[in-house]
Amino acid sequence: MSPFFSNRRLIVLLVCLIFLVGLVGYSLNQNRALSWPEQFVSDAVGTVQSVFSRPAYWLSSSFDGIGDLQNLYEENQMLKAHLDDYASQRAELSQLRRRNEELEGMFDMRDDLLDYSAQEAVVIHRSPDRWNQLVGINLGAQDGIEEDMAVITSQGLIGKISRVSQFSSSVQLLSDQDVTNRISAMATGGNQSIYGFIEGIDDESGLLRFTKIDVDVEVEPGQTVTTSGLGGVFPDALEIGEIVDVQSDEFGLSQTALVEPSADFYHLDYVMVIDRGADDASAVLEEEEE
Amino acid sequence: MRFLLPAVLFFFLVIEGTWLQVFAPDFRGADWQYIPRFLFMLILFTGIYRAKSHGVFYAVIFGMMYDIVYAPVLGVYTFGFGFITYLFSISTPFMRRRPLYTALLVLVGVIALEYYVYGMMVLLGLTTLTHEMLFLQRFLPSFLLNGAAALAAAFPLRWWFNKVDGFNEE
Repeated sequence: MSPFFSNRRLIVLLVCLIFLVGLVGYSLNQNRALSWPEQFVSDAVGTVQSVFSRPAYWLSSSFDGIGDLQNLYEENQMLKAHLDDYASQRAELSQLRRRNEELEGMFDMRDDLLDYSAQEAVVIHRSPDRWNQLVGINLGAQDGIEEDMAVITSQGLIGKISRVSQFSSSVQLLSDQDVTNRISAMATGGNQSIYGFIEGIDDESGLLRFTKIDVDVEVEPGQTVTTSGLGGVFPDALEIGEIVDVQSDEFGLSQTALVEPSADFYHLDYVMVIDRGADDASAVLEEEEE
Repeated sequence: MRFLLPAVLFFFLVIEGTWLQVFAPDFRGADWQYIPRFLFMLILFTGIYRAKSHGVFYAVIFGMMYDIVYAPVLGVYTFGFGFITYLFSISTPFMRRRPLYTALLVLVGVIALEYYVYGMMVLLGLTTLTHEMLFLQRFLPSFLLNGAAALAAAFPLRWWFNKVDGFNEE
């Protein structure tokens, strides 16, 4: 026995290894809620992080602002062009909205999948090692956050809540490599809906993978991918991205499309957590059963 | 003074996830990823300049916090920080007097940690990235960044641990 690892130290090392395997096994359990020591540490660190992150965002946005000044003129021209469309679309929207309300009133509709409320949250940290794509936000169980809620930015869906603590929680981004990171999605093109799952990112291109699409369905680049609302957790019609490429999978049993995400997963500062109000929906179902 | 080192370690734990992420170059279109390991490097310096026991103590405490706050799986960093600090805290007078050697030792520790974590992630099925992709894109730039930081910090840290800290038994 070398003096570097004496007998006693070897036993300590073995005990540590057993402890490690036990901890890893315990934390890989998917249905696990955070234990109170974990909640305590995440909340304590999270509080400090929310103080630290705000000046960083301020500085970062002022840097970006200087860069933006250079292409201000072109952007202004483009926005002016869009503005003309906007007026006509707005008129159309209000007309459609009124019509929709009338029709809903006729059918006595109540909660549907589109009903949700949003809470604004600040991103307080992001995993420094790039092995996972987790970001922390400053809302937790005390603010009504629950696991698997959808998280969006103004541009589109970015991920779902994966772990909830009392005053902070972490968001698993769509780009996370975890095998359980799967979201029911659909693409609308022409007059049919195409259903599948968003499952992580493609290693080479860095685009989202839209998998398990039926082989018979024609998928075309340019189609918009949204959440389907079928998973029971997310509301539907949250924008995810646009299809750029279609491949058949290795066995030819289904197709996989690559999706360019509409939200930017990198410059995250303010995000919104979507509460679908699942309690109301289940209450309605119970009423109907009675 | 006694709580200065834990406070600085906690400061690094926090800024690795906040400030350094907001200004990370790969979020602005750069192909290279720089993974900061400043917290771990300071723990290794503590293990070398103070004593092995001090290093392992802070390694386990802050490894646990790192696991809880940033990692999807518990235990990986707690064990990794602790074990690698134990291996590389060679607290001999020879090492302490030569900051260049200290910095090199710390860099070797960072490389060991990075490969240990990669191995764990592959083992647990949390990543499918291959080594060729990671080496140029992530490992090499990270080692360069952390090596430069270790080199820059080695001389001031030796002065601080010897003159100000006062824990050193020499």
